[in-house]
Amino acid sequence: MQEAIKIPASLRRMVAESAVVVVGRRGCCMSHVAKRLLQGLGANPAVFEVDDKCEDDVLVELRAAELPVVFVGGRWLGGLDRIMASHITGELTPLLKQAGALWL
Amino acid sequence: MNPTMMNSTSTQFVPSRRMGIYEPIHQMSMWGDFKGNNCLDASTPMILEVDPKLDNQSEDTSHGTVGHSNKYDQEASKPPDKVLRRLAQNREAARKSRLRKKAYVQQLESSKLRLIQLEQELGRARQQGMYTGSALDASPLSYAGSMNPGIATFELEYGHWVEEQDRQLADLRNALQSTETGDVELRIFVDGGLRHYCDLFKMKATAAKTDVFYLMSGMWKTSGERFFFWIGGFRPSELLKVLLPHLEPLTEQQRLDLGNLAQSCQQAEDALSQGMDRLHQILGAAIAKQLGEGNYLPQVGAAIEKLDDLARFVGQADHLRQETLQQISRILTTRQAARGLLALGEYFQRLRALSSLWSSRPRESS
Repeated sequence: MQEAIKIPASLRRMVAESAVVVVGRRGCCMSHVAKRLLQGLGANPAVFEVDDKCEDDVLVELRAAELPVVFVGGRWLGGLDRIMASHITGELTPLLKQAGALWL
Repeated sequence: MNPTMMNSTSTQFVPSRRMGIYEPIHQMSMWGDFKGNNCLDASTPMILEVDPKLDNQSEDTSHGTVGHSNKYDQEASKPPDKVLRRLAQNREAARKSRLRKKAYVQQLESSKLRLIQLEQELGRARQQGMYTGSALDASPLSYAGSMNPGIATFELEYGHWVEEQDRQLADLRNALQSTETGDVELRIFVDGGLRHYCDLFKMKATAAKTDVFYLMSGMWKTSGERFFFWIGGFRPSELLKVLLPHLEPLTEQQRLDLGNLAQSCQQAEDALSQGMDRLHQILGAAIAKQLGEGNYLPQVGAAIEKLDDLARFVGQADHLRQETLQQISRILTTRQAARGLLALGEYFQRLRALSSLWSSRPRESS
């Protein structure tokens, strides 16, 4: 499922080092939703905040339509739609456990 | 002076059949026709509604009351008793006609007042959000609809959506009650039902682009449904609670899966609710910046940008509703899913009925 995505160095580092990463616009409420959902499940996501100015560049680099986007276990998972859908179908929790984001 | 008035059989005023002189329509056409006419004295209408026995004399009488001297000469040649009696009858008829006209006008005035009263009540009710707002109510476009064509379209389409929903539910009910209906047929119903909900979400997404506040207000729904409102629609976890008892018997695996789904829904809803709280705070803070200076454009302008997020919330909430419905249908058998859809549809129908009954209950006069 992993694509060869070109992403900023600092972000790449974060993705490699953290089990869960939320990439979102600074002050965006949707990023907040993604964060709260993951925290509610017991994960502790790292957050990479993007300035308004840099948003377009980051979106191009990530080949994403909009922020937030979430990485789990170093792999791209998707935007908020994908996170919600995968949680409803029950896929998200095993993924998080696999990535070491959850201990329970 | 008007020749047509002289002729009692003129079709302009008197229809071919004999009209009762107490009929309002007859009176109205009379009053209406005399609108531009200066001689609104009772004598002229009298001609048209006189007793049959006076019909023959109409020509004479009109001449008499308009004051043609010739007429009096003609009259003088007839026996005075008859003339006097005729004149008295004419006066009496004229008096009665005047009274009827007065009564009719009074009736019109009071109706007009009542109409104004009702319009004011309706306006107040709309503002207070008591207006049920459904396009199915026997009323024209709602307040918001009349201001925004995108919303007017949505309300119209939603009205059709509800009608189609009621039709599908009736068909589904029949199918489930019949012993001959197989799973293949039920599957068609289930897929159709789920698709119908998807159509609604698509309609809402389009409407959100024109007026997201309208969607958030739920004004297109009935007041009962609004009571259970959560970010532009029903709460998925609430849905599951409603459905669960009607899906029995369930296997252990199904019970487990549905339990997990209920928990996931709740968690997703909580995340969205918290995001909404955050939006409240941010929007509130943006609006409240630097109050007291009179100028509001910079603050309001900044706030408007944040409203894009609101449309995304409605989208995410609808997405959650859609995913939940899909997941429910994955967990259940076809027949269970069909029963579930029927139960769900009836639940919303009852909420709508509750609203109608509530809004049409007799109110105590204060």
